[in-house]
Amino acid sequence: MDIDIKNLHPLEIKLLLNFAEDDITADKVNASLGFEVGQCNQVFSWLSGKNLIVEKSRTLRTIYELTDFGAEYQAKGTPAERILKLVSEKGAMTLPEIAQALSLENKDVGTAFGALSKEGIMAMDGEKKASVKKAELSETMKITRALLDRGGQIPESDLSDAEKKVMGGISKKRGAAASPFKVVEREDVVYGFTEAGIAARAQLKAKGVTGEEIGVLTADMLKKGDWKGKTFRSYNVKTPPTRVLMGRHNPYTVFLDGIKDKLVSLGFEEYDGPLVEAEFWNCDALFMPQFHAARDIHDVYHIKTPTMAKEIEQPYLDRVAEVHKNGWNTGSRGWGYEFDRNFTKRLILRSQGTVLSAKQLHKAKIPGKYFGIARCFRYDKVDATHLSDFYQTEGIVLGENVNMKTLLGLLKMFAVEFAGATEVMYVPGYFPFTEPSVEIHVKHPVLGWIELGGAGIFRPEVTKPMNVDVPVLAWGIGIDRMALMSLELNDLRELFSPDIENVRLRRGK
Amino acid sequence: MPKIEVSAEALYKYMGKKVTGQDFIDLIQCAKAELDEENGDVLKIELNDTNRPDLWSTAGFGRILRMYLGGSVPEYPFFSRKGDMKDSGDRIVDVDASVKDIRPYEVAFAVRSKTGITEDGLKDIIQTQEKLCWNYGRKRKSIAMGVFRSDLIKYPIHFYAADPDTTKFAPLGFEEEMSLREILKKHPKGVEFGHLLDGMAKFPYIVDANKNTLSMPPVINSNYIGAVKVGDKDLFVEITGTDMPSLMLTASIVACDFYDSGFEILPVKVRYPYDTPFGREVTVPYYFQEPVTVDIKYVNKLLGEKFTVSEAAAFCQKLGSKVKVDGDIITVYPAEYRNDFLHSVDAIEDIMIGKGLKNFVPEMPSDFTKGSISRESMLGRKIKNIMVGLGFQEMAYCYLGSAADYIQKMNITPEKVVQISNPMTENFEFVRPSVLPCLLNSESISSNAVYPHNIFEIGKIALIDPSENYGVKTINSLGFLSADKEAGFNSVNSEISALLYYSGVEYELEETEDPRFISGRCAKIMAAGKEIGIMGEVNPVVLENWGIQVPCTAGELNLDLILENK
Repeated sequence: MDIDIKNLHPLEIKLLLNFAEDDITADKVNASLGFEVGQCNQVFSWLSGKNLIVEKSRTLRTIYELTDFGAEYQAKGTPAERILKLVSEKGAMTLPEIAQALSLENKDVGTAFGALSKEGIMAMDGEKKASVKKAELSETMKITRALLDRGGQIPESDLSDAEKKVMGGISKKRGAAASPFKVVEREDVVYGFTEAGIAARAQLKAKGVTGEEIGVLTADMLKKGDWKGKTFRSYNVKTPPTRVLMGRHNPYTVFLDGIKDKLVSLGFEEYDGPLVEAEFWNCDALFMPQFHAARDIHDVYHIKTPTMAKEIEQPYLDRVAEVHKNGWNTGSRGWGYEFDRNFTKRLILRSQGTVLSAKQLHKAKIPGKYFGIARCFRYDKVDATHLSDFYQTEGIVLGENVNMKTLLGLLKMFAVEFAGATEVMYVPGYFPFTEPSVEIHVKHPVLGWIELGGAGIFRPEVTKPMNVDVPVLAWGIGIDRMALMSLELNDLRELFSPDIENVRLRRGK
Repeated sequence: MPKIEVSAEALYKYMGKKVTGQDFIDLIQCAKAELDEENGDVLKIELNDTNRPDLWSTAGFGRILRMYLGGSVPEYPFFSRKGDMKDSGDRIVDVDASVKDIRPYEVAFAVRSKTGITEDGLKDIIQTQEKLCWNYGRKRKSIAMGVFRSDLIKYPIHFYAADPDTTKFAPLGFEEEMSLREILKKHPKGVEFGHLLDGMAKFPYIVDANKNTLSMPPVINSNYIGAVKVGDKDLFVEITGTDMPSLMLTASIVACDFYDSGFEILPVKVRYPYDTPFGREVTVPYYFQEPVTVDIKYVNKLLGEKFTVSEAAAFCQKLGSKVKVDGDIITVYPAEYRNDFLHSVDAIEDIMIGKGLKNFVPEMPSDFTKGSISRESMLGRKIKNIMVGLGFQEMAYCYLGSAADYIQKMNITPEKVVQISNPMTENFEFVRPSVLPCLLNSESISSNAVYPHNIFEIGKIALIDPSENYGVKTINSLGFLSADKEAGFNSVNSEISALLYYSGVEYELEETEDPRFISGRCAKIMAAGKEIGIMGEVNPVVLENWGIQVPCTAGELNLDLILENK
């Protein structure tokens, strides 16, 4: 049988090692190992639980246990003994005088004197003084004295019939505080070792385990060097540990930071912007006409106060207004409508990350690569696949030499880097601010074919008003589904879970 | 994105070929289309290009597929052009000056077939009308279209602004006559679209020479001339709206669809008492599109290719445009039903699609650029690491919430909180003015999690700030909260001390009053003379508002101000 002796407590070890015979009882264990009260039964229970010992028999017996009160009698004498001694030495005294001299209660003196006079040892004279008649204790009193002197725990089986009778008078089962002895009924259980117990003992001996090994290594031991020459108790390394509440990064932001780091490693510079934007940057600068369906009241969140930006940066406002009207000098015919310069100042919650690209253009380096992970807001009913606010990952690449083929190359790299894609497919797409536009679909190792994102070359109507004359690749990738997979979730709302325990237990891949 | 339902059989007829399965899915990419669902003969198609309303019908969708498969570019001889107006006979629409300020434009044409309109054809024209008016016409606001039985019409037709109370007719589906105003209240379409007439003293109204009503655009047709049924051979199509080119394009799309399905197109002359982008008299359908020119060098620069000019022209033609080549220049004449060439880049995209995206070989960008994360992100990461070291769990929260959470429960006044004027629900009506309500919300629902709770978030908040151009300032903020029986000012003070020591910020504390914190146990964190944050023991009033029964300490730091001092 396989026994892990590391699971044994030092007390168990001591018991196993010190009792070879087959009838182990609490009395024997306490007598030879000096366990503290309760320890013995605890060890029996542990060892039985491990099947190392087994109960062989169980008998009920009565024990008389000296009480604190009894211990006082043992030391100072019983009231009867003390009265006899006092009066023998000092001569006749009244009972109150005796009580005062011996610091006893009057009633205790009365009871003791009653017993003494009944035995003919003392008597009361005419002056109500007690005097000694026969200076010798009665048989009962002698037996009482003998029992008190034995003290401790006296098994009933050790007592003679006469002693039993006396003990009956000076012991109580309950409320024994004012009795010299307490009656204790005890079950004597006899245990024997099982085969496993014997094997465990053999193992302990073979390994030289004594139960005296050091448990907790204390600072005091180190200071004093007490540990020297001793061995350490082996712990069970498989015991389940207690839980540590540690500080932790949120796996979702770790995931996002991982995306950022990848983009940085690919040469992209991060940009950022405010949550509240003007329609100008959110839409107009991106050549979305002011009558575009996506700009209806039910598609973007408007700000209550203030409702308008104070001003829109020039010369961009004038240029964009012209671009919408007639194309300005971009080579476009424009949308052919009168641009509303008030509407363009209207404040909204940023609805697309591309707004950051629009604002970056006029300060961008050429060649340059930029990206942002932007919190955006959508007029959507919140459910497992839609959030009122969420992150979009977007970026631009500016350069004289970038083109559709380099865009496809870039997207392919993203597909491999971000989705671990095994296959990539490009299809024509539509975005108001890019032309040509493409969508990239990738074969994700777990999710199968998914749309990774959209991209294109910014329209000249977008770039030229911002002083940019080179082609600008613009891309956006959807990473939510990959974030969910990485976090082993399947509901977008969980990404922003406020539940502390949920978040604590969450692991990223 | 519009979605249309088409009969596969009907579509194959227009395509001239049956294409199924993956081949079909691949093919329709040329129209930026996706197959959403296939149910027997019914295909549900999603069209992604909102500038290509010509694709939102069986005929139009079939047309592009047929051409992409190698079919020829069709001729539509019925179009009038500048200086070449087709004969419109007696078919005349007179637009009255009274509509100029309410719904200024109308275009119209008639169609005729020997066999009459089929059931599928009628279903298709209704779907086309819906998609055009809904997606392209902004829910009938800028485009509304009606189809009528032209055999019942006596020309000329009049489009004018009518008195809504004295003008009466029986709207489609109703036998009794109602005033225009009653229709808005009683007819389901009146109820749905009546708001488009809000504030108008008189309503747009169309009648023929016999004073028979055609319709009250953009709301409802009449029950007489406007009730088209299967088998009708003569139809009249009119479109009203606010933008002449969009109306004209819509007319062209519908006319080409009718023509492709075997109808003869009968032009209608529309006369205006005021100027329109196409003059005061225009015969519809009318080709108004301008050609665009594109230099082959620009094509090859954007596409990264080395196409010859004739190759590029041929690719372009596969999408339906007519092309002319002169040296390096390709002139693209947009198809009659398209008006999406704003710039030569739009032609370049057609060339790309014509060539087929799968035929482009991806290349890596060759320019070297230096990557970097923003200063804000850099500081954020540093602070995050310290907070984690202090034993805090990082959280991530939504930025929108309710007045109850952001204002009332926080015991603050609302004047600096950014409110959304058109919220979807009151649960998402405000932008968070602080990270603290998010943290307290976490605590309020997490009493079953083992204590202590130490949580934080670094994220954005927004506050009304009249000194800003937008009147609102977005701030990168750190918020943190500890919930524990031991949490007190002393512990939060220690945390701030450690955090700011390792962040390299010299600071001092100043006692302050803040309704979110216990009076006398709240401090402003001052650095370089500015208040960069606040911390203290959370006011039991606030805790009770959130239903929290464990003492909490919290703090918030403005990371942008820390960055300013660096």
